[in-house]
Amino acid sequence: MKAAGFGVLLLALVTLPPLAEPYMLHVAIVVLMNVVYAEALYVIMRMGYLSFGHAGYIAVGAYTSALLATKLDVSVWLGFLAGGAVAALLAWLLGAITLKLRGIYFSLSVFAFAEVVNAVFRAFDFFGGPAGIAGVPRPMFFGTRLNTHLGFYYVVLAAAVFSLVFLYRLAATRFGFTLLALRTRDTEGLAESVGIDAARYKTLAFVASCFFCGLMGAIHGHYLRFVSPFVFTFFFSTDLVIFNMVGGLGSFWGPLAGSVLLTTLGEQLFAAGYYKSLVYAVVLLVVILALPGGLIQVPRLREVWAARRLRWARQPVATTER
Amino acid sequence: MTAILEIRGITKQFGGLSALAGVDFTVGEGELVGLVGPNGAGKSTLFNIIAGAFPPTAGAVLLKGRDITRLASHDRARHGIARTFQQVTLFGELTARDNVLQGLHRHVASRFLAGLVGTPGYRGEQRELVARAERVLDLLGIGEHRDELVSEQPLGIQKLLTVAVALATEPTVLLLDEPGAGLSHEESTRMMDLVATVIRRRCTIVLVEHNMRIVSRYCDRAIVLHFGQKIYDGEPAGLTADRRVVDAYLGVAELA
Amino acid sequence: MEVYLPLLAQGLAIGVLTGILYVLVALGLTLIYGILHIVNFAHGEIYMLGAMAVLYLHVVAGLALVPTLVVIVALALLLGLCIERGIFRVLRGQWLQLVVASVGVSLVIQSIGWIAFGIQEKSVPSYLPGIVDLFGIRLPRERLLAAGVAVVLVAALYWLVYRTRVGLAMRAIEEDEETARMLGVNANRVASLSVALGFVLAAVAGAFVAPIYSLNPGMGLEPILMSFLIIIVGGLGSITGTVLAGLLVGVLQSVGAILFGSEAAYGLVFVVMIAVLVVRPAGLLGRV
Repeated sequence: MKAAGFGVLLLALVTLPPLAEPYMLHVAIVVLMNVVYAEALYVIMRMGYLSFGHAGYIAVGAYTSALLATKLDVSVWLGFLAGGAVAALLAWLLGAITLKLRGIYFSLSVFAFAEVVNAVFRAFDFFGGPAGIAGVPRPMFFGTRLNTHLGFYYVVLAAAVFSLVFLYRLAATRFGFTLLALRTRDTEGLAESVGIDAARYKTLAFVASCFFCGLMGAIHGHYLRFVSPFVFTFFFSTDLVIFNMVGGLGSFWGPLAGSVLLTTLGEQLFAAGYYKSLVYAVVLLVVILALPGGLIQVPRLREVWAARRLRWARQPVATTER
Repeated sequence: MTAILEIRGITKQFGGLSALAGVDFTVGEGELVGLVGPNGAGKSTLFNIIAGAFPPTAGAVLLKGRDITRLASHDRARHGIARTFQQVTLFGELTARDNVLQGLHRHVASRFLAGLVGTPGYRGEQRELVARAERVLDLLGIGEHRDELVSEQPLGIQKLLTVAVALATEPTVLLLDEPGAGLSHEESTRMMDLVATVIRRRCTIVLVEHNMRIVSRYCDRAIVLHFGQKIYDGEPAGLTADRRVVDAYLGVAELA
Repeated sequence: MEVYLPLLAQGLAIGVLTGILYVLVALGLTLIYGILHIVNFAHGEIYMLGAMAVLYLHVVAGLALVPTLVVIVALALLLGLCIERGIFRVLRGQWLQLVVASVGVSLVIQSIGWIAFGIQEKSVPSYLPGIVDLFGIRLPRERLLAAGVAVVLVAALYWLVYRTRVGLAMRAIEEDEETARMLGVNANRVASLSVALGFVLAAVAGAFVAPIYSLNPGMGLEPILMSFLIIIVGGLGSITGTVLAGLLVGVLQSVGAILFGSEAAYGLVFVVMIAVLVVRPAGLLGRV
């Protein structure tokens, strides 16, 4: 039943686009990218780590590929992979230190990383400084450069399907289940006592998450045809967190729902970035307060509210961080 | 009787504080040993060292003749040491079954890639593991709670769950840290009956207990720690007669 | 080297003043985080609102300074109470939701700020123009005023936390909430008060720092990061730690800028902070 639904969806995503206007294709591309970013972040959030710096890894992917294409004339396809690889490598190196931190410390450290990345890109001419790198080419496909929205859409679709299948399997299998055991410092201790090598799992999850961020980031850069320090900002990272929270962390489909909904909503509000931020933030607050488990809990609304009232009655005032 | 667990000259210093000073004892296969002592005697510290939470300042821990003193705690679990914690620690947002399923981690044979792809072998194994988890819950008499969130369970059930999770690893040596603490008389009797029958058949057990009555009734052997030193190692019946033990517990009515 | 000395002395003095400013800004956050362990991301935005309020009430509308401050304090108090009641209280116990909600609040305020105040940088004229010359060290009166306010507020906070019953209640809640409740401490009131005070401190900080730097709706981001840094390095829950860390950062930044240039100084601050955390993970005066 589910498989049939997906089949239909996939079919639609593949066959309908030639009939669509370029603007709709643009929206579709942005939605697909955001879904992958949000799901990549989801892997980390599943193990209890809140990252406000994922934009940093996305930026690393974007810049890597952009630099390879513009300075070394490397094939864009290789650039995509390189973007993912470099981001993954960085995640592996930094993960050793940052994953030992918990709660707000971890969040601040990844945030610091993202800011440092952007600062480095702004500071040095090699990265194009504040103006960034322009003229980032589209990939070549059997002799044609994919300069049209339609052509590039299929690239994004393919990458998104590949990424999401992998990320879904990560979350839905034993690996994702084990990540749930690492949510807090206490449960991590328990996990270790039953033989789970927490450090290894966390690192693997983090590296995987950042690989897909880097990969899609590279694709993102080639889509925009430029990269700059002002694209992948703290607000970008925050948006991804919002997609996750609004959609709900209870299942893989939460962040997907959150990003699809909010991205399409955001694309409609093209008045100014600030209106979009305001709407996102208000939606976030409404969901957090009324639907703490996110949109995916809507089917079970009544029991969620009942349980919530009960739980709220016995909460301590001082909230210890996990 | 073969020595399953050997504690040799374990010493632990925290800064200037000496928590354990040269503790030696051996646990034989199949024994049910009670580790007792007043608060601060070093029981939990010893447990932490055996389980690998932190290393001793000096001394060695041997499991089945193998030196595990420097092994990380997750490695020790693979070699057959499991434990419960003094404070009830569970995977709060998961169901009872899922908690035990986490405990079965050690028995997962299929590789990462098999899981990713979803081979029939992997799927079959997952089903097997779920059945196994349910069997462990049934073994301890809490099978009916299998779909319930552990955070919503009363303490008595939660304590049984912590034992279930530890038991799922199929340990050689099970360290139980005050399994009866906080439980009513009936609940603690139920717990200890399970420990002394069902669980005991499956592994060697060392338990930390304050209640001398429980130790006398269920344990083969009692080891008493006082200020980090072993002051008694023998039959539980001899506890009340031993002068050093009585001195250490002076004033505690339960000895009588 | 002789040329450097007066320059270094100047840098040191300005560094201390800047450090005190950082402390002023971080005070509100220390209070809320130290007692309730709530990561209030909206702190920077309240600071921004305080500064904007001065701009619109005092500069544009012409209201005198003191009434302006009274209005700011009242509004901050009200806002703090509302947010504590409406958001923080509802999300008690859920660390993740609390943090993200406070980010949400921060975004809402900031977005409204950009929409309402526009992107043009504005400035507030100095309350106390002029420079005091102390043995050749030039100290802007404005900064001295802000530093003075900071010292008064730090002292007031110390007095509140360590010498009043309310403060005792706060410390009790932070240390062992269950026992405190059993002994009759009204935890809800402590929570409301702490948040409200924290907001007031943030807004007042914004009001007094307003003339020193230029204003824009995004001005809350850097202060909140600095504040977090200072609190973490100083040690959570320790007012003294916050003060020490703030001074340290201020001096490092100022002297570092003279010796190595301002960009490098920024980096130096980060490096030193990380070094402190490596050596003392709980912070300078933090208790784990």
